[in-house]
Amino acid sequence: MQAIKVEHLSKTFRVKRKEKGMKGSIKAILHPQTEEIRAVKDVSFVVEEGEVLAFIGPNGAGKSTTIKMLTGILYPDGGCAKVLGMDPTKKRRQLAYGIGTVFGQKEQLWTHLTPYDNFRFFGAIYDLSEKETEIRIDELSNRFGLGDFINTPVRNLSLGQRIRCEIVASLLHRPKVLFLDEPTIGLDPVVKETVRELIRQMNREEHTTIFLTSHDVGDIEKLCRRIIIVNDGQIVLDDSVEHLKHHYPDHSLEEIITEIYKAKELTAVG
Amino acid sequence: MSTAVKNQLRVCLLSVKYNIMREMVNKVTFLTNISFMILNNASILVQWFILFRLREDVGGYTFREIMMLWGLTAASYGLSHILFARAFSLPELVIKGKLDAYLVQPKNVLISVITSSIRISAIGDLLYGIILMAFCRLGLREWILAALFLVTGTVVFTAFSLLLGSLSFWFLRMDILENQTVMGMVSFATYPDGIFQGLSRFLLYFIIPVGMAVWHPVHVLARFDAGMLLTVLGYTALLAGSSVAVFYRGLKRYASGNLMGART
Repeated sequence: MQAIKVEHLSKTFRVKRKEKGMKGSIKAILHPQTEEIRAVKDVSFVVEEGEVLAFIGPNGAGKSTTIKMLTGILYPDGGCAKVLGMDPTKKRRQLAYGIGTVFGQKEQLWTHLTPYDNFRFFGAIYDLSEKETEIRIDELSNRFGLGDFINTPVRNLSLGQRIRCEIVASLLHRPKVLFLDEPTIGLDPVVKETVRELIRQMNREEHTTIFLTSHDVGDIEKLCRRIIIVNDGQIVLDDSVEHLKHHYPDHSLEEIITEIYKAKELTAVG
Repeated sequence: MSTAVKNQLRVCLLSVKYNIMREMVNKVTFLTNISFMILNNASILVQWFILFRLREDVGGYTFREIMMLWGLTAASYGLSHILFARAFSLPELVIKGKLDAYLVQPKNVLISVITSSIRISAIGDLLYGIILMAFCRLGLREWILAALFLVTGTVVFTAFSLLLGSLSFWFLRMDILENQTVMGMVSFATYPDGIFQGLSRFLLYFIIPVGMAVWHPVHVLARFDAGMLLTVLGYTALLAGSSVAVFYRGLKRYASGNLMGART
């Protein structure tokens, strides 16, 4: 069964432009100028249930914009997306019960409260009863090793501890699809490995579909079977990791990805 | 009550509870903020007390009505900043693209956003307002009306700020206009409406809705008038409906951002 289906998805942002200095500011008031930036251009792909997909690309390639359209945060200008069979723009709230999101660079937890209080709040957000919430907190706390710091305010936690708590908060309601946007950014190698193992375990045991964006090739190599590379708002590669490695036996995955990024830039310059 | 409404209410109450818990982490700041706000408000009332020793009425108001005016303004402003404080800082969230965290949750976005923060000194405003109303020696019917006007006043303050703040989806720096207009509304609300005439009076009743938030309610409390009561209720519903409609219209233009500190 398809967990995500995207057809010809597009998104354009209109950005204000002004010439330099005060003269430019005055000119911008009298003759405002805008420029259209096509962040996502005609993107189509399908993700099967239980799949672990790496959705990667250089900065500004359109990864986050795509995730935001798939989670109902942004409205697309063209095309359509279905996540768990629902259109995110029309059934945002209903869809939210079936998906989880973790943004490595952003916080969803209340920093002055403890992880435990945060989880209780998230339990209420997803309509879990107090008993269900307690059972799920216990289960995930054991699995993610939160016992030592579950009652410490989030602002006093290390980055690795916080990320683990962010992941637990996003899993309380047993989402079928989990969007992970750079979940291991800034973590040390040991904690990275722990987080990867937990994601793998979750995919294996709960059959959660994982949609991962990351600049860390280690995340992709150790977690994903399939890779989609986007650049300049378009898909430039959609292949299995195994197939890629087979085609370029003398190169590491990092080298292959870098080459693909560069090739696209050269095409754009040319 | 449907399950969805019950669940939404449960989240709102938890949100307010956690907001207060967050502020209580620093006990000294928490208590001083509240008590100094009460003292600050009380100091201004002393000026009115002195003025009323020189004159019998100001702008058609007796000292008791001035106390009602201050009581209702402080309580409505306070309650709106306890329950819906984020409605007063919406432009910051819109401009910096910080609504993402609320959009990925299966709850009403608007309610989740506006209940996500608290202004702790507002507890002082609310307490001060209630104390002043108690000094006005209201009867049972007046207390019931005062409670109703506390709700309408809270909705008017919140909805007016939400309406202006939602314009940030279209125009940058609406926070300046929103802040100045809401603060102006609070300032005007502490003076009797009798001193305003002509265009300024019209503006203060219908455009910057001070009249609907406090002046009409004080008139109804002093001398019951069903027409005025219905006008306040009708205007409150209209303003609330308009602000919600503008917010959701604007939300479709939301451009997101790279920051997501929802409740830091």
